[in-house]
Amino acid sequence: MITTLIRYFNLICLTLLVLVLLSFSLAFFFPGDSAVNLLGAAQIADQPLLSQAVNQSNVLVQFWYYVQALFNGQWGVSFATGKPLYEDIMQLFPATLELSLYAVTLALVFGIPLGFVSGLQYRKKIDHAFMSSSMVMYSFPVFWLALILILLVSLQAQWLPMSGRLSLLYDIPHATGFILVDIALSDIANKQYAFHDAISHLILPTLSVSFIAFAVFLRSTRRSVVDVVSTEYIKSAQTRGLTASNIFFKHILRNALLPVLPLLAVQISTLVTNVMIVETIFSWPGIGDWLIQAIYERDYPAIRTGIMLVAMIVVVFTLSLECLSQLIDPTRDRFAYARR
Amino acid sequence: MIILDIKNLTLEIESNGVLVKALDKVSLTIQENEIRALVGESGSGKSLIVRAISGALPPQWIVTADRLTWRGQNLLSMTRAQRQAIMRRDIAVIFQDPLASLDPSATLKDQLVESIPQEFIPKGWPWQRRKARLRIAQQIMRKVGIKDVHAAINKYPHELSLDICQKFMIAMALVSQPTLLIADDPTRGMETNTKQQILTLLAQLNKTRNLSILFVSHDLIAISAMAHSMTVLYCGQSVESGKMKAMRRRPLHPYTKALMDSAPSFSPDLIPKSPLVAMDGTIPTLQHLPIGCRLGPRCPRAAKECVQVPEERSINEHKYRCHYPMHVESV
Repeated sequence: MITTLIRYFNLICLTLLVLVLLSFSLAFFFPGDSAVNLLGAAQIADQPLLSQAVNQSNVLVQFWYYVQALFNGQWGVSFATGKPLYEDIMQLFPATLELSLYAVTLALVFGIPLGFVSGLQYRKKIDHAFMSSSMVMYSFPVFWLALILILLVSLQAQWLPMSGRLSLLYDIPHATGFILVDIALSDIANKQYAFHDAISHLILPTLSVSFIAFAVFLRSTRRSVVDVVSTEYIKSAQTRGLTASNIFFKHILRNALLPVLPLLAVQISTLVTNVMIVETIFSWPGIGDWLIQAIYERDYPAIRTGIMLVAMIVVVFTLSLECLSQLIDPTRDRFAYARR
Repeated sequence: MIILDIKNLTLEIESNGVLVKALDKVSLTIQENEIRALVGESGSGKSLIVRAISGALPPQWIVTADRLTWRGQNLLSMTRAQRQAIMRRDIAVIFQDPLASLDPSATLKDQLVESIPQEFIPKGWPWQRRKARLRIAQQIMRKVGIKDVHAAINKYPHELSLDICQKFMIAMALVSQPTLLIADDPTRGMETNTKQQILTLLAQLNKTRNLSILFVSHDLIAISAMAHSMTVLYCGQSVESGKMKAMRRRPLHPYTKALMDSAPSFSPDLIPKSPLVAMDGTIPTLQHLPIGCRLGPRCPRAAKECVQVPEERSINEHKYRCHYPMHVESV
């Protein structure tokens, strides 16, 4: 267990180091002066470490100061707005996290139980229905789905708002960045109306992100359940005269869920991509929308920091999930000799 | 008294849109306190019979039988719950491959404990009951010859060696104190020493606990040492069955004869350096089964009549299915 933890910790640290190195080198690859690309302006008064990094002659020393600056929140300023990137990102990032969190929760809560239903009803009507509908869901391009949802639900039926996070009527002070938490913490009048408004803004983006994730979770859970049910040990449990519910809860459930967790880890990068696309379409004020704006405006410091941050999130989440699935899997050292 | 009675068991499997008879009119009876051997080449359907008895078959396979009864109760017509109850208390199965038949993500303790019938546990608080269960589990594991029970009981199957897992499978089968133990090739791929231990254990249980055993194997030497009677299976058809002694002395069916001859230790008067006897050809696949007697194309005594399926005939409880049996005059 300790070895697994150390191994994954090492892996995460090294990968992050490579990411930082890549983001640092971006400043030199972008057109223009590398010092300006790194800082975002000719001179910044309140970011001494980053300014020092620019002034060094040796690249390695520059990199050393750059790493220190990153840790101290001195990430340069944006070309477009001239504001410090760190503050911008910290404002936007919780919005993205909130959206992805709700979408993943929704997909998990529905995808995995329905996957179990489908797997246990293998090749029956329910299974066929789930399989064909999830195939359709899986093949939707996410941007098209979002546009169709806006067209039908917001424009035609006018049930839900089509963009933004909250109606302009409500002025919620920024505390945690999570809109629902912020509303709960604030002391405005008409709190329940604000909640209602925030949730009605959330529904469409969450749905469009969770649509594909749901289909993937359903299909992988179902596959894994079908595999487990056909194994020899389930048959032997039946021969021992155990009841169906006993077999399900004691043998099928755990064995089917164990291989699903690493699959979730693989899905994280797809999820982040989808969230960024959906943010742009719904004008959700998150990091994805911001990053795509930055690319349009050739805001090099913002691109450099944004890409590094998104990549870091993906790496950290994927590797931690993989590490977790290794830790809770009692059969993990079954192939230990092959892995060493 | 006959406890398990199988008459004309037929199992049909759909293969490429055609129904294939994987088992064709197999008959088998097991008496109380009897060790019956079920012998046949691999692919002859031994494990399918075991599956058909235990009911662990995929739903799309069609099982029909004139009789498939457990102490007079029809196993095929009873409800799922009744059959489960019989499998839980009266019949226990040891499977071929212990590592595949044990849940890889559960400890041995969890798997053994859930096989203990509720009736064995005295009433009491949950922790008392848990303790009682653990005690029974450790007892039975010690009985089957697992040495370090305390170390083994909390381990996962992949952490233990194959013979401990096999012994554990036996423990799991015996913990419900069954009347009939079906051992599906329990010593496959084992070293001789462990094999001997397990066979001794089974024979001992037969004597002390009045356990009936259906011993499925192709290890003729082990079978002849412990079995009282034997049923020979060829390609899904039961070709001959009877008392072990009679079958060894005078096999009626040519296939049984060939099987016995193929084991050199069975023929004491074998001349040194003489060629070993073996039947020509191989066992046909399910897709290319011959009609009539399935041994037909390979049989040295086959004649025109063998394209008809031979009826079961019997001489003094020695049953056979053959048009031209051997040794008939001397029986």
